[in-house]
Amino acid sequence: MESLSTSSVSGTLVTLSAVLMLLAAFACLGSKLFNRYVAYYGFQSVVLSFAAAVIAEHYGSGELWALAALTLLIKGIGIPLSTRHLLLQRLDLRRDVAVSTGLSTSLIIGALLTAFAFLVIGPQDLPAGAVASSAVPLSTALVLLGGLAMVVRRHTVAQLIGWLITENGVFLGAITLAATFPFIVEAGIFLDLVAAVLMMVAYVSGITRSLAEATASELRELRG
Amino acid sequence: MTALVVLVVVLPLLGALAVALQATARGAGLAAIVGAAGSFSAALVLAGKIIGIGHFQALDGFLYVDAIGTFFAVVVSFVVLLASFGSAAYLRSEEERGELSRFQVRLYFVFFSVFASGMLAVFMTGNLGLLWVLVEASTLASVVLVGLEAKRRSLEAAWKYVIISSFGVTIALVATVFLFYAGSRLHLSTAERLTWIALFTHAHELSRPGVKLAFLLAVVGYGTKVGLAPMHTWLPDAHSEAPSPASAMLSAGLLTTGMYAIIRYRAIALIAVGRSYEETILLFFGFLTVFIGVAFLVHAGNYKRLFAYSSIEHMGVIAIALGFGGMLGVYGALLQVLTHAIGKSVLFLSSGHVVLGYRTREASEVRGVLAVFPLPGAAMLFGALAVAGSPPFGVFLSEVTIVRAGFAGANPALPGLLLMLLAIGFVSLLVTTLAMVTGERPVTAVEPPYPTRGRRVLACAPLLGGLGVLTLLGLWIPGGLNELLVHSVRAVS
Repeated sequence: MESLSTSSVSGTLVTLSAVLMLLAAFACLGSKLFNRYVAYYGFQSVVLSFAAAVIAEHYGSGELWALAALTLLIKGIGIPLSTRHLLLQRLDLRRDVAVSTGLSTSLIIGALLTAFAFLVIGPQDLPAGAVASSAVPLSTALVLLGGLAMVVRRHTVAQLIGWLITENGVFLGAITLAATFPFIVEAGIFLDLVAAVLMMVAYVSGITRSLAEATASELRELRG
Repeated sequence: MTALVVLVVVLPLLGALAVALQATARGAGLAAIVGAAGSFSAALVLAGKIIGIGHFQALDGFLYVDAIGTFFAVVVSFVVLLASFGSAAYLRSEEERGELSRFQVRLYFVFFSVFASGMLAVFMTGNLGLLWVLVEASTLASVVLVGLEAKRRSLEAAWKYVIISSFGVTIALVATVFLFYAGSRLHLSTAERLTWIALFTHAHELSRPGVKLAFLLAVVGYGTKVGLAPMHTWLPDAHSEAPSPASAMLSAGLLTTGMYAIIRYRAIALIAVGRSYEETILLFFGFLTVFIGVAFLVHAGNYKRLFAYSSIEHMGVIAIALGFGGMLGVYGALLQVLTHAIGKSVLFLSSGHVVLGYRTREASEVRGVLAVFPLPGAAMLFGALAVAGSPPFGVFLSEVTIVRAGFAGANPALPGLLLMLLAIGFVSLLVTTLAMVTGERPVTAVEPPYPTRGRRVLACAPLLGGLGVLTLLGLWIPGGLNELLVHSVRAVS
């Protein structure tokens, strides 16, 4: 089967989606509001599902269409909605104050990491002219930016979003480089992702509650 | 054959089934023991058959068993058996004391079963994508065990564990994608391009840059699970906060599972890229890991953390053994996998007595274990001796094999350095454990951890069994085991 070339319309659309995803990751790094993190992640996932749909259309593969639909439903809608309802609203999280480096510093580091991604994933390692040669460096940059977000943010919700961005990056690389992954494996990956997110949501609320209780009990001890 | 494989994987789920049928902690514990014993016996039978036929494949390679897979299945199912005995006793005592609610105990047995079954399934698949899915699934099940007590510390440990290992496993997914991509020039079907047997037989035709990246990322990604430095930071917290039988499963089971994945990737990289590449990477991470493990062994205040750092050290030793390579190196690595698994199970299970009795995890507050609990105290002492690498226990034999493999290589400084680090590790592990085990009986009363006789038997049986096997392995390797080991080494070289 023909691999997707950079110059075709579909190839351009996939590259464009990858760039938009990178921008969304930077927007996330540059923000301090929890609901923005979630919104940018949701946007990124919708773009990702669009890229998956373009690739599915190119290969005419039903499995890839199913994957695109799963991405939209789970990552684009399910995870953002559930984090918003189960975490942000219930725990009343608004502003992220646990940031270890300033926003501008983390943006500069992010830019350096993006340059680094293009440096290490040289085009010579990738099929010439195929869309993977432009999308894989971008997806590597996404992986690194997600990792950066996990390092500079200390709040559990921010770390969760950082990991999800990394995961989106890996997924983008996977669909451009290895579009024909066996479906069983892809479905398993999705199942693991959902389980991991549910588990993380449970722990985030558990930790936030226990911290709140701790502060309250200190207040009681200091009374009178 | 397929039925046997299914038995190995499914029988540990008996514990979860018992919970679903509204069993009490006692019932669930007994069901877990029966399931684990069945799974261990099935693994033994499977190993016997595999030695005869080489390997067995079904369902497009999604189901694939060879010697090394069954070897790991035997090791891990034995660990599950030991830990099931421990769980049956430990969890009931925790419930009686009100440390854990009934719901938490049920949660424990469900996820303990899923964790065990997930790990065993890892060894029964030949599809590296499915292997990834199963490793991640078993990790997620173990996260629940770490955070079970739902106190602030255990929640934090569980969070650290889930976020770091999820990130690591994402890296391992990238490795899987690159390996898949490395085979794109071959005329293989898409399912075969992730299948171990196809990749291994066509390894010399794979794209070199693809395999190089895949191997490095696999060592980093699965290495997070193994506890290779510098990706080890989740490990001491998770091991210290989990209930003791679950710590044994983490240390002896999960780390082993991660190492299994690395061994598979190494075999492909060895053929596709050549010896010096994988050697450099494994020796680098191995020595860094042993160094970090030993450095933290020297001043670990919490005894469960002490044992966790000892696990890190051992995983580093295994990575080094794989780096030394050759028949002898891989043989030593596999033997170390086995002896580490049993020794660490004994240590963590005996620490369960101490946690329940002394109600502290600080080594400095624990004295006179031998006087208070003679059998668990002795198990802890001998377990520590065994794990530290003293003769006549199995770890001594495997470490000697590994050092010999090193001296057979080009650079004698490396095994020399390893010996020195092992000696420091030996002293630091023993100094702390000896102080805990010996000494005067504590002034404050120590509660008996297991009030009934039945529970005492359940808790002590795995200690005796584990130590017995470990001593046996130090003196004599049974013929069948040796044959399985040799076949395993051949399967990946």
